[in-house]
Amino acid sequence: MNRRIYVGLDIGSISSEALLLSEEGILSYSIMATGPNPKRATRECLKEALSKGGIGEESISRVVATGYGRISVPFKAKEVTEITCHARGSHFLFPRTRTVIDIGGQDSKVITLDDRGRVTDFVMNDKCAAGTGRFLEVMAHALEVKLSEMGRRSLKTKKGVPITSMCTVFAESEVISLIAEGYGVEEILKGIHDSIAHRIFRMTRRLRVRGEITISGGVAKNEGIVEALKNLFGMEINLPDEPQIVGALGAALYAKEMI
Amino acid sequence: MANKAIGLKFLRKMIHFPSTYSFVLPFFNLLHSKENQAYRVWVRFLLSTFRDAYAHQKPVVWINSFLPSELIYGLDAIPILPEIISALVSYLGWSGRFLSRADTSISTDLCSFYRCALGLALEDFLPRPDLILSSSQLCDGANKFFNYLSRLYHCPHLLLDPPYSDHPRSHRYMEGQIKEVVDKATKILSLPLRKERLRLVLNRSNQARHWIEKINQLRQTIPSPFPGSEGLSYLSGMTFHSMGSPWALRFFPLLYAEIERRVFSKKGYLPEEKHRFLWLHHVRPYYKNEIFNILSSRGIALSFEEANYLYWPPLDPSEPWKSLADKILSNVWAGPIERRMKAIEEMRVAYSIDGVIHFSHWGCRQSCGGAAIIGDWLKEKGISYLILFGDGADPNNYSPGQTRTRLEAFIEMMG
Repeated sequence: MNRRIYVGLDIGSISSEALLLSEEGILSYSIMATGPNPKRATRECLKEALSKGGIGEESISRVVATGYGRISVPFKAKEVTEITCHARGSHFLFPRTRTVIDIGGQDSKVITLDDRGRVTDFVMNDKCAAGTGRFLEVMAHALEVKLSEMGRRSLKTKKGVPITSMCTVFAESEVISLIAEGYGVEEILKGIHDSIAHRIFRMTRRLRVRGEITISGGVAKNEGIVEALKNLFGMEINLPDEPQIVGALGAALYAKEMI
Repeated sequence: MANKAIGLKFLRKMIHFPSTYSFVLPFFNLLHSKENQAYRVWVRFLLSTFRDAYAHQKPVVWINSFLPSELIYGLDAIPILPEIISALVSYLGWSGRFLSRADTSISTDLCSFYRCALGLALEDFLPRPDLILSSSQLCDGANKFFNYLSRLYHCPHLLLDPPYSDHPRSHRYMEGQIKEVVDKATKILSLPLRKERLRLVLNRSNQARHWIEKINQLRQTIPSPFPGSEGLSYLSGMTFHSMGSPWALRFFPLLYAEIERRVFSKKGYLPEEKHRFLWLHHVRPYYKNEIFNILSSRGIALSFEEANYLYWPPLDPSEPWKSLADKILSNVWAGPIERRMKAIEEMRVAYSIDGVIHFSHWGCRQSCGGAAIIGDWLKEKGISYLILFGDGADPNNYSPGQTRTRLEAFIEMMG
């Protein structure tokens, strides 16, 4: 039987994701570093997702590309922005979502949506990558902590050291000074996460946030930031099993719905 | 590197010769032979202004955009607007060098149009002013910048300081200020103030105003006959710089005829018009950018721009100072935000607007300050609204990826 396979490709500044979708649901996905060549990342990522799903390239019905590298995807049927795709993907996973917080590699976005998953408004960070994945990478490096361990370690303490600089370069210097002053790594990590959460919370204030909130993007894997956001919003936040594929899922859903 | 320096030195030398402008004019005509006639008049206007300024046959007065150029033409002097020159330099892709030069003297947080102009001044690329006359309306930073330049050039600086409110007392106060400034200017420039000339200039301004009104009416046509990207360049440039000059009476009727021709042929500037947008702010990015291509390729017509909103009443040539005071104080971008909102509502209805982009130019507090209030108000009315962060003259503050994502997501949101 010929299954129709729809592909969503999210080519971000740090990571790329490919997701295969059929009428039955998600078949497989892959996540890898984008690196300096987005075209190569696209090919490799799709190849891996196809291999994981045991599917041949010939089964692909349609590809929709999203993310910063969407323009460079050669075999797409359509390009859709990551804002629209994250909204669509989040709504698919949590249909009562009305606000999406997407923190990616180089930018963060807050998106409001209607009951059909369509974007009604959005805000993005501007001019700098403070409070995004790249910011966290630099901080992890300064603190000599693995990126994947940052969240868990920050939850070991209740009191964070306030980080006043949001410029990545200045914040790195501030973190190094705090280490020199004798503050514990966990306290500094909590301070970093709190400052990012505050920044996101302020962004949401520019929109009319209502209904359920879903968080997506690679930074959502950081438990410390999710926890800080829950505290600020005073409510639960939907966290997908794999927050990094929400954009690709949205793109695949658009591929499926295209006539 | 050495070749570049020699090239720049040569260019600097050449632009100081009035004959250069007469020499390059035929080449410009040839180069722009496919452009509309109004555009060509604009190019000729700029070249002739520079030629006259370097010829020093008349005094050169530097002004800023919201100071009525009628005052300078009325004095029979040559108005030079550094902001417009910065926009041109940015359009030609040369702003980087001059911005870097300015950054050695002034904060990078200042408006890039002024920073670029300062770089041009420091590198001696501008005609020297005999007088600087600036207005504090909308931008106090502009005055500090002009004051800095007056020290640099050792030339006098006069200031018009329009009050915030539109109260009748403000009009009388403004009228008095204009009289005082004109009195000082005539003494500084040793120019007699001739009433007949002033009357002529105000009459010309009124005639040009009449054509602007007609152009704005034509632009209400669906599909949009004239792109907002051009409305924000040579059209608004002429409105800021040429009012009161004979050039305005050549430019505006020609542009009207060109737009009328397009309206008669029932062809919009886009093959298919899905949405009609209004652009808020007086400027746009002038350096190479993708903004207008992104909009056009998705069927978004930039139908109108607030830079060309006709806010002032016809001038009364028998009462020039009062008229010019009225013109200054009717500026909808100054004073309470409700005035600007009223104008936006008028434009929204007249141009059948369904989407609004508020360009937030880096360093421009006056417009960015009101962006959120306008946004909330428009969204209440169900009008899609986007604040687009960027910079008019400094390409370093332009992020292509983020700008594309913002614009495309906004268009996707509108469906």
